[in-house]
Amino acid sequence: MTDRRTFLKGLLAASAAPGLSWADAGGPAFIACAQDPGGGFALAGLALDGATAFRVPLPARGHAGAAHPGRPLAIVFARRPGYYALVVDCVSGAVAARLAPPPGRQFNGHGVLIDGGARLVTSEQDAATSQGWLGLWSARDGWRRTGEIASGGIGPHDVRLMPDGRTLAVANGGIATDAADRRKLNLDVMRPNLAWIDPDSGVTAIAEPDPALRQNSIRHLAVHPDGTVAFAMQWEGDPALSPPLLGFGRQGGGALRLAAVPEAERAAMKGYAGSIAWNAAGTEVAITSPRGGRVQRFDAAGRFAGSFARADACGIAPFGAGFLLSDGGGGLIVLEGDGARPLSHADLAWDNHIVAL
Amino acid sequence: MRLALIAAAALFLAQPAAADVRAVVEEQALPGFARLAAAAAGLAAAAAGGTESAEPGAADCGGAAVRDAFHATFDAWMGVSHLRLGPSETAALSIAFWPDERGATQRVLAGLLAEAEPLPTPAGYAEVSAAGRGLFALEALLYDDALAARAAPGRRCALLALVADDLARQTAALAADWRDGFAPILLSAGEAGNAVFLTGDEALGALYTQLTAGLEFTRDQRIGRPLGSFDRPRPQRAEAWRSGRSLRNVALSLAALHALADLLADEPIPATDAAFAAARDAADRVGDPAFRSVGDPAVRFRLEVLRQRIATAAARAAEDLGGTMGISPGFNALDGD
Repeated sequence: MTDRRTFLKGLLAASAAPGLSWADAGGPAFIACAQDPGGGFALAGLALDGATAFRVPLPARGHAGAAHPGRPLAIVFARRPGYYALVVDCVSGAVAARLAPPPGRQFNGHGVLIDGGARLVTSEQDAATSQGWLGLWSARDGWRRTGEIASGGIGPHDVRLMPDGRTLAVANGGIATDAADRRKLNLDVMRPNLAWIDPDSGVTAIAEPDPALRQNSIRHLAVHPDGTVAFAMQWEGDPALSPPLLGFGRQGGGALRLAAVPEAERAAMKGYAGSIAWNAAGTEVAITSPRGGRVQRFDAAGRFAGSFARADACGIAPFGAGFLLSDGGGGLIVLEGDGARPLSHADLAWDNHIVAL
Repeated sequence: MRLALIAAAALFLAQPAAADVRAVVEEQALPGFARLAAAAAGLAAAAAGGTESAEPGAADCGGAAVRDAFHATFDAWMGVSHLRLGPSETAALSIAFWPDERGATQRVLAGLLAEAEPLPTPAGYAEVSAAGRGLFALEALLYDDALAARAAPGRRCALLALVADDLARQTAALAADWRDGFAPILLSAGEAGNAVFLTGDEALGALYTQLTAGLEFTRDQRIGRPLGSFDRPRPQRAEAWRSGRSLRNVALSLAALHALADLLADEPIPATDAAFAAARDAADRVGDPAFRSVGDPAVRFRLEVLRQRIATAAARAAEDLGGTMGISPGFNALDGD
């Protein structure tokens, strides 16, 4: 074990020397997973002009990622049920470390670096029961697993750091899945929640949706600097009902609040939101639906502000005054107010998420 | 010769707005939405000022003129109802609220018919839930006697006029949105600044998707829903059965989808044409306009044949067109995470 750790440390030292910065990786502004036309998978760095700053092959389909705040390291998480997370040196393209979940566990596609990049938090579930966990890893100590803490629910997906720099917000989707595939097992009794967790002492607050909306799985999060957690949902109930897919919660702030969405716009999202982001100023939040081929924008109070249609649109991140949108057709689109302009078009299928650096 | 052909093909592919996209826009979408708006305006005019008669029937709420205008408007809608992109993506819900699994149209209208407070203003009707608007609300007001019996006196004809007026507004706005907003986006596919369609092929692919989704909808919803199962046929789940339009809607949708396939093709597509013709013949033989007799094995069999022929038309269209449309299933849409 020590040998392996020493080996990994050596790799790390060789491939991402402490002096290197993100500028050495071509100055990417975003990272995103993708599939290339040959069917291979990759992690790409994106510059502000939409050009690919770097491209690193992945062993299997990725999902989301986390970027180290100082060093040019990205942690890429496998698509659920995930059996790898890779620490990628974005300068050399080398895999600096390969993380595997403990026996009986699965990675759930998301994670976040905390303590200034010293620790990594991974979203995980027990393969047999779907009970949720957050795995804790030391970036300083060769990416050693240092512990774990209950996520406060079933099937956690996204995990984000709150503005206090310590508390984690976790989307417990509530859906129990089969250990081997992604079959959903408990849609009739699922109970999603939004949990706030101290990485060392555990759950500090939990908010659940209204009982009528328990089939609205809370899956992706975007945290406003004022502490408001916006969440994107996936509806597992009667498709004819089309409830809102955007909600807001505050730690210890009582009931979760839903966005106000016009009826036809709700239906057009096809019960599915895949990604969420605030713009840089925190004045707008956007959710995407690859099934509906649609992005909807809302003001900070949750009032509908407009929508944009683009086939298979999913990844979204803050960009300029608005957002950067990615899609399965290789497009990167800039959305600013009601306007939209193409930024670049690659011969790639951009995967679910864009991670802003 | 072969090389020259390949070079010509490459040149063609490099052109941003394909001729077939232009054909669909100019020969089907724009004239179709304009016809719909004109028909709905006619319906609104016919329904305005209609009064209730003691004996429901010809003289009621504008009488036969209103019913004729209703059918003309529904016919016009069937010419474009499969185009569910651009402004139609959200507009279709409140023009044709169907399928209506929960009986929402009847519920919303019953509320409006019974309430003591004044009806919404014409402009304010846009705020009513989609189930209470559009063609299926009009159908219920014109053909659902049980609903009519629950109406407060004088209320039904006033509501009918209101829904017809709202539909005229909706369809006029939709025609304008297509003409001034979305048609230019389709026609400039692949040009600098077009953020909706980054290449000409993306626009072509989006229109081709309307063809496949439209065929699927007619097969699975318009025919599949009333068929139900052999042990449990569901005639009241047929589309527009009250006004006797179920079979007519199938035939009109097939005609519109056939026209779309031909417009999308660069060259003759005889196999697809023959498959659509066979489906039309099968529809002609059903002989049950409102699918009332789906429990009758003979009718059932004829509908099964029709359903099979629609599937065949979809398969032929995929062979004739699909290969050139560059369609791949949604990488993210199918991911589910």
